[in-house]
Amino acid sequence: MSRETISLADILADARVWKLKDASAAPPRPVWSTGKSSLDARLPGGGWPTASLVEVLIDDTGLGEVQLFLPALVASQRRTDGETPWLVWIAPPHEPFAPALSQQGIDLGRLLVVRPASAMEALWAAEQTLSSGVCAAVLLWLKGTDDRWLRRLKLAAEAGGALCVLFRPERHRFESSPATLRLVMTQGEHAPHLELIKVKGGLPGPVA
Amino acid sequence: MPCEAMPRAAAPAPPPQPAPALSRPRSNQLWYAVVFAELNETQAQISLQRLCLHAQQFTSLVSIEMPNALLLEIKGSVKLFGSLGRLHADIDAVWRRLGLKAQSAAAPSTLAALWLARAGKQLLLEDPALLAGQLAALPLACTSWDAERLRTLSAMGVRNVGELLRLPRAGVARRFAPGMVLDLDIALARHAAPRRAFVPRERFRARRDFEMEIENVAYLETAVAPLIERCARFLRERQAGIQSLELRLRHRVGPATRVRLGLASSTGELRRLMDVVRQKLCRLELAAAVREVALISGSLQPLVAAPLDAFSHGGGAGGRDTAPQLVERLRARLGEGTVYGVRLIAEHRPEAAWRRVHELRLSAAVRGNEKPARPAADHEMPRPVWLLGEPVQLCGPLLLEQGPERIESGWWDGKGIARDYYIAHQVQDSRRTRGARLWVFQERQSRCWYVHGVFA
Repeated sequence: MSRETISLADILADARVWKLKDASAAPPRPVWSTGKSSLDARLPGGGWPTASLVEVLIDDTGLGEVQLFLPALVASQRRTDGETPWLVWIAPPHEPFAPALSQQGIDLGRLLVVRPASAMEALWAAEQTLSSGVCAAVLLWLKGTDDRWLRRLKLAAEAGGALCVLFRPERHRFESSPATLRLVMTQGEHAPHLELIKVKGGLPGPVA
Repeated sequence: MPCEAMPRAAAPAPPPQPAPALSRPRSNQLWYAVVFAELNETQAQISLQRLCLHAQQFTSLVSIEMPNALLLEIKGSVKLFGSLGRLHADIDAVWRRLGLKAQSAAAPSTLAALWLARAGKQLLLEDPALLAGQLAALPLACTSWDAERLRTLSAMGVRNVGELLRLPRAGVARRFAPGMVLDLDIALARHAAPRRAFVPRERFRARRDFEMEIENVAYLETAVAPLIERCARFLRERQAGIQSLELRLRHRVGPATRVRLGLASSTGELRRLMDVVRQKLCRLELAAAVREVALISGSLQPLVAAPLDAFSHGGGAGGRDTAPQLVERLRARLGEGTVYGVRLIAEHRPEAAWRRVHELRLSAAVRGNEKPARPAADHEMPRPVWLLGEPVQLCGPLLLEQGPERIESGWWDGKGIARDYYIAHQVQDSRRTRGARLWVFQERQSRCWYVHGVFA
C-alpha cells in the first residue's frame, strides 16, 4: 500500500474544501441592514445578503427574530424600479398583526400570507414565490425539512433575486445546510442570545 | 348735474316673478311601456330578463319594472323605424310571436307610459303638453301605490288621476307621502326619473365530446386546451375578462365532476387561464373515465387597460411571472382561502384593527389611492408582530417593561373592551434568563391578565 503525499494545493483543489479567502474576495453583494449594529458588524458587507438563503434556528417565538428582518423587508420594498416588490410569509406561527407591520413601514398592499396544509406544500409555495421574480423576500416557518429541499430553496432564491429566511427549530443545528448564513437564537440573561454558526465569507461565533 | 355725468345705471331689474308652482312639462325622452299581465309571478325576474333581450333589438335602454313590466326608451328609435306607429307594431309583433299577452303605451315619461299601459289604453303619446289631459281619466289603481293609500283616496272621493291633481299639492304631500307628489311630477314629465338599463349577463359556454374516454389527467389537460383557447378568443373579442370558471367532467355513469377555478384578478389571457387549469387538473383524482367536458365561464367583467408595453418586464414571453399569475398558481394548488393579504382598519381595538383580504390589488396602476405605510409616531407604543387569535390567560412570572397603554373602545357595538396594555417579558427563575417578549393586558373590570401578542 503506497501512502500518497497530499500537497496543500491538492487539498485546496478539492471541491469539498471551502476557502474563506475566495469568498471574501468575491465582489460585494447588496445587503440590507439588520437594524442591530453588533450583528451588522459581523456579517460580510454589513447586513443580510440579498438573493440568498438565511436560516434562523429558534425554538420559541418571541425573541425578536422577525424584528431582525423587518428593516430589511422595508428596504427591499423601497428598492423600486417601477413596481413595489412583494413580501410573502409562508406558514407563520400566528397571524401577522397589520398595525405592527405598518408601524414599521411595510407596505401592506404588497404582503401575502400563505397558509399551506403541509410542509411539502409550504416548500413548494416558497420555491414558486422565490423564483417568480416579483418577490423581494420570503419568510418561511417550518418544523423540519431535508437538505435537498434547502438546496432547491437556495437555487430559487438566487434565480429570483429574493431573500429567503427560513425559521426552524434549534434541533436542526447540527445538520448540514446549504444556507449562506445560519443563526441560532436562544434566551439570554438580558437580551436574546445570538450565535452565528455559519457565515459565508465571515467568522462564526456568538454575537455580542 | 353730477348725476348726468355718471354712466347711466342699468335699468332696475323687474321685480322677480313668483316662481311658477309647477314648471312646464319638458321632456326629450319617449318611453314605451309593456305590461305582461299574465306573467307567472315566481318566474317574473328570469322571464323579464329574457324579454329584455328581445326588447334590446329596438333600443339600447331597456329597463325592468317589477313585477311584470318593461320600459323602453325609444326617442332615438322612432326615426330609425319610420314612425312611432310602425315601431309599436314591430314591438308588438315580438310579443305575439312569443305567445304573450302584452298591453303597451308610449308617453314622454316613464310613469305615464306605465300607467297608460296598466290601464290598458293603447295610446301613443309624443307631446308632453297632452300628458296631463290624457292621464286625468286614468283610474288610480294603475299607479301601483299601496292598497291602503288607494282606499283612503277613494274614501275622499278621489277616483282618478285628474281629481288627485286638482287637490292642493302641499296638502297631498302632507296627508300622504311626498313620494306620491313626486310620482305625479314624474308622470307629468316635470321631474326627471333616470332608469337603470338592463345589462345582459354573458358567459362563455362550450363543450367537447371525446371519441375515446379519457382516464388520464395528463390527457385531459390537452383535451381541455382547445376549449380554453376558444374561451380566451371569446373574451378578447369582447375586451372582457373573467374571474372564475368551471369545468364539468361528465362520466358514463354517476354525476359529473365539477372543477371550479378562481383567478386572482379578472383576466382574458390564454396563458394565465391555461396555467390555472393545469395546476388544478394535475392535482385532480378522476373517479371515472371522462366522456365529455364542458367549460362555463363566470360572468364577464370589462377589462382595465391591458398591458401592451413591449418592453415591460415580468409576464409574457420572458418566462417570469407577474404577481397575479403567482397568486393564481398558489391558489390553484393550495386552495382558495390559503393566500391572502392583511389590511389596516382604523380601529382602536387590536383584534378589530386588521382584517384578511382575499381580493388583492395586484397591479400597480390601481393603487393610487392606497394609504402609504405609516411611520411609527413617537408617542405610540410598539405593536407586536404576532397577534394571538384569542387572548390567552397569563401564567408564569412576568416582568413589565413598558406601559400601561389604556385601550377602551367599542362600547357601542356590544364588544366593548377596557384594557391596560403592557409590554412584558417572561422570566425563567431557574435559568435566570429572559423569555419571550409579550404584549399583555389587564382587563380593568375583572383585573385578570391575558397575553394578546408576541414580539417576534
